[in-house]
Amino acid sequence: MTIIRDLSIVPFGDYGWLASFENTADQISGALAANHAAQKLLNSGKFIDVTPAIASIAIRFNPETLAADDAKEMLHRAIEGAASDKTPAPRAHIDIPVLYGGEAGPDFDWLCAHAGFTAEKLIAAHTNAPYRVAMLGFAPGFAYLGPLAKPLQAPRLAEPRQSVPQGSVGVAGAFTGVYALSSPGGWRIIGRTPKRLFNKHARDPFVIRAGDEVRFSPITEEEFARLEATP
Amino acid sequence: MKTIARIESPGQLTTIQDFGRAGLRHLGVPQGGAADRVSLALANASVGNACRTPALECVLTGLSLEFQTDIAFAIAGADMRPCLTGEAVSMAKAIVAKPGDKLEMGGAKEGATAYIAFAGGVAGARVMNSTATYLPGRFGGFSGRALRNGDKLRSANYESGAPREITAHYCPRLGHDWVLRACEGPDVSRLHPTLVERFFSGKFSASDRWSRMGLKLDGAQLKHETGAMASSAVYPGTVQLPPDGAPFLLAADAQTTGGYPRIAQVIAADLPLIGQIRPGDRLWFRRTTPDEARETSALRTSFYEAVAPGFSFI
Repeated sequence: MTIIRDLSIVPFGDYGWLASFENTADQISGALAANHAAQKLLNSGKFIDVTPAIASIAIRFNPETLAADDAKEMLHRAIEGAASDKTPAPRAHIDIPVLYGGEAGPDFDWLCAHAGFTAEKLIAAHTNAPYRVAMLGFAPGFAYLGPLAKPLQAPRLAEPRQSVPQGSVGVAGAFTGVYALSSPGGWRIIGRTPKRLFNKHARDPFVIRAGDEVRFSPITEEEFARLEATP
Repeated sequence: MKTIARIESPGQLTTIQDFGRAGLRHLGVPQGGAADRVSLALANASVGNACRTPALECVLTGLSLEFQTDIAFAIAGADMRPCLTGEAVSMAKAIVAKPGDKLEMGGAKEGATAYIAFAGGVAGARVMNSTATYLPGRFGGFSGRALRNGDKLRSANYESGAPREITAHYCPRLGHDWVLRACEGPDVSRLHPTLVERFFSGKFSASDRWSRMGLKLDGAQLKHETGAMASSAVYPGTVQLPPDGAPFLLAADAQTTGGYPRIAQVIAADLPLIGQIRPGDRLWFRRTTPDEARETSALRTSFYEAVAPGFSFI
């Protein structure tokens, strides 16, 4: 059961609807409910695409095969259903080994200073508890994970980097995130995983899916090199 | 797989595109595909291909290539003054090239993208159900990248039928002034009403910050102080308004979510026009309602379906 307040559904162009709701007590349960509702809508096969996010779901439909009002009604029902269902358990538990700091984490030292933590304490805080994947978005397979410990919460970079290497692990606002592919990005990068998170030829190309549980564990440079070399 | 042609000069940005990978936005995967679907569909229809068959998309300047086999091809979209071994090539008309023939193109004066379709389609890496090149992710199309000198294009050997005659009224009207019909975006209630009015009555020009992801617009002053928003869905045709007041019009490779207020959404039927806007062009947004826009899109869809069966704007 997730408490969803102030649900509003507004048109998003001629092919879409956007449902937004107030953040529930914590952003993660709201995002998990949005994802749960999105899965139901995806399974119906009636939509062009479904985009769940932190406190919203957007759908696009083909008006020639689905009336706009029916699409809106389906969206409304899916959210109400997801809110009254139990928060779904994670589909998978994924371990992500991370090399923290140095070249792999150019903003690691900055975040230590920002949090007032030693390197060891920062790593402990980041690896302490498992996270839930709140959403995938912004770039292919990019995972927003939370809840992030308060001292580790930090604003984005004022100037986004032109290219952040794949596997980079960063923080921004209330989330920590993992770049499945190299892309431009404004998150503060504290480490990198050698684990391959994207396989373009696989049936499920992304290792991490919305709703999964993710746990980070620190590794050394040697372990990073060894894991990177293993396919 | 037979070789169609060898690239002698790739132009500014030539990629393999189709109708993109639909239905994956929940994984953060943009749809991508042709910046101007109508022109891709017309080029394909001209050579008898299905409308979504992979073809080449040239941006601003065309390419030069040498044919290696006998094959029908057609070009649609921006006129980059194509010549086949010295002879001018008509737009949206199938021509059979012979081995050794050279196709040479220049720069477009109006419009931004041209499509070169080959009978049977051009082969590329198929990733997540599409051959569209997604440059930021380096996947799809020709090894996930733009074409280079010396690349060899191969045939995809898709079934193709008889060439279709495309009359001129199907081809998009290009120029330097664009009126895009748009619905109010989902965040207008967060913005000051006068800002929204200024947006829909204002004149903009396309800046040179241009990519397949989107273009930054110069023009009316629309600075605002609406606070940060949680990331939420955006699409091709979404106009985002960052606090600095310069609207950003998202294009074919639009990312799946963004954090700036969405002031407008270009209607489905006008999405192909976005692919033809070049830096310096002027544009206006004409406000319409979702109901009216759906009527327009339905009419335009059946119009194009007459020559390109299976055509859709999204």
